[in-house]
Amino acid sequence: MNLDFSQIVPYIPFILEGIWVTLKFVSMSIIVGFILGILLALCKITKVPFLKKFADVYTSIFRGTPLILQLMIIYFAVPQLTGYDIPEFLTAVLAFGLNSAAYVSEIIRAGIMAVDKGQTEAAEALGVPYKPMMLNIILPQAIKNILPALMNEFITLTKESAIVSTIGYLDLMRRAQIVGADIYRNFEPLLLAGFIYWVMVYLMTQIGKVVERKLRYSD
Amino acid sequence: MIRVEGVTKTFDSNTVLEDISTTINQGEVVAVIGPSGSGKSTFLRCLNLLEKPSSGSIWLNNSEITNLTNKLEVREQVGMVFQHFHLFPHKTVLDNVSYAPQKVKKLKTNEAEETATQLINKVGLGDKLDAYPNRLSGGQKQRVAIARALAMEPAVMLFDEPTSALDPEMVKEVLDVMKDLAQTGMTMVVVTHEMNFAREVADRVLFLDEGKLMEEGPPTTFFNSPTTDRAKGFLDKIL
Repeated sequence: MNLDFSQIVPYIPFILEGIWVTLKFVSMSIIVGFILGILLALCKITKVPFLKKFADVYTSIFRGTPLILQLMIIYFAVPQLTGYDIPEFLTAVLAFGLNSAAYVSEIIRAGIMAVDKGQTEAAEALGVPYKPMMLNIILPQAIKNILPALMNEFITLTKESAIVSTIGYLDLMRRAQIVGADIYRNFEPLLLAGFIYWVMVYLMTQIGKVVERKLRYSD
Repeated sequence: MIRVEGVTKTFDSNTVLEDISTTINQGEVVAVIGPSGSGKSTFLRCLNLLEKPSSGSIWLNNSEITNLTNKLEVREQVGMVFQHFHLFPHKTVLDNVSYAPQKVKKLKTNEAEETATQLINKVGLGDKLDAYPNRLSGGQKQRVAIARALAMEPAVMLFDEPTSALDPEMVKEVLDVMKDLAQTGMTMVVVTHEMNFAREVADRVLFLDEGKLMEEGPPTTFFNSPTTDRAKGFLDKIL
């Protein structure tokens, strides 16, 4: 078997730096996607037809086209349209954040609808306004129920983040490819990158479990 | 205190309430009884605008509330207790009771918790302040729900079959709390199947059937000499 890890040793710091790069834009994307997802979910359950329509169309577009295409459009088409030379980091956060929001909004909408209608009525009967009712009563219960589905979405996002390598962003994946090209050996750097992705996802899974346990305090 | 004038409620083509008119006076305890599906709960839910009447009007303290856009003001004054409690499962007993006063009346946390603690003591659950609803029995949950509604210092309390979801041995503890409340002069409208409670505690009984107010009067008159055939038939079946 033709395996030789000694050759990538000098490149290890370069690859490891990719962890930070990946984590940086993935965590930003998760935050953007989560907040936007909540807002979209709220639009979907309102009685205001315009907002509902907007959220539905949004979801349809971002779920109905390939993520890599969205990434390319933001990276290549935005400069053509506006003249603004959009940086890779911003491109990645926008593409992944906007895309993830579409999926998260569906998860959260399902979670909100699964909360007993009596909870809304109880809050309304006490005179609690919409915003605190959502923030303090409905969403905490919804999020507890949908945590596994949300975690799944975040894990998918973390792994799919590798496609930013296509716009030349120096993330973990791109770095592995560069090292492969440099030493004419692809298997070792790709294997290392794969291992690192797996560790990241494993850690996320563990964090998810801890959070899930914490949220079950009231059971 | 509450005046109901010709209230009708329809869901699509289904008429649930038909031309209901009555007045609930300050300090009065009114029991609403009738067979299932007679519109009792819908009537009650109209009083705090959880349901909007299709026609007719509802007046609270001489101002019409039927078409208010800000329903929250009404609900601040009208407490409600549900058949299935609807406690907030992710909040402790203390937080359940002190939450709304903080968010709606803008009380400071310690003030709200002080009042809440007093109320929880009053319903006999002083040792459960930090427990979560899942740890409580049905009767205990309903007593917390009563304390939660009282924490908003409402002018009227609505009870929607408060004991119907309880095991028989827990009914009494909830009814006792309600009796105490009636003795403090609280205005109460109670949808109930507990005829003894209606007989002992209510000042007046409303009998609803098929969405119509068939009969109303003091419990002694209603239970001993009902005038309509519907009421007679109903009482024959359950007593």
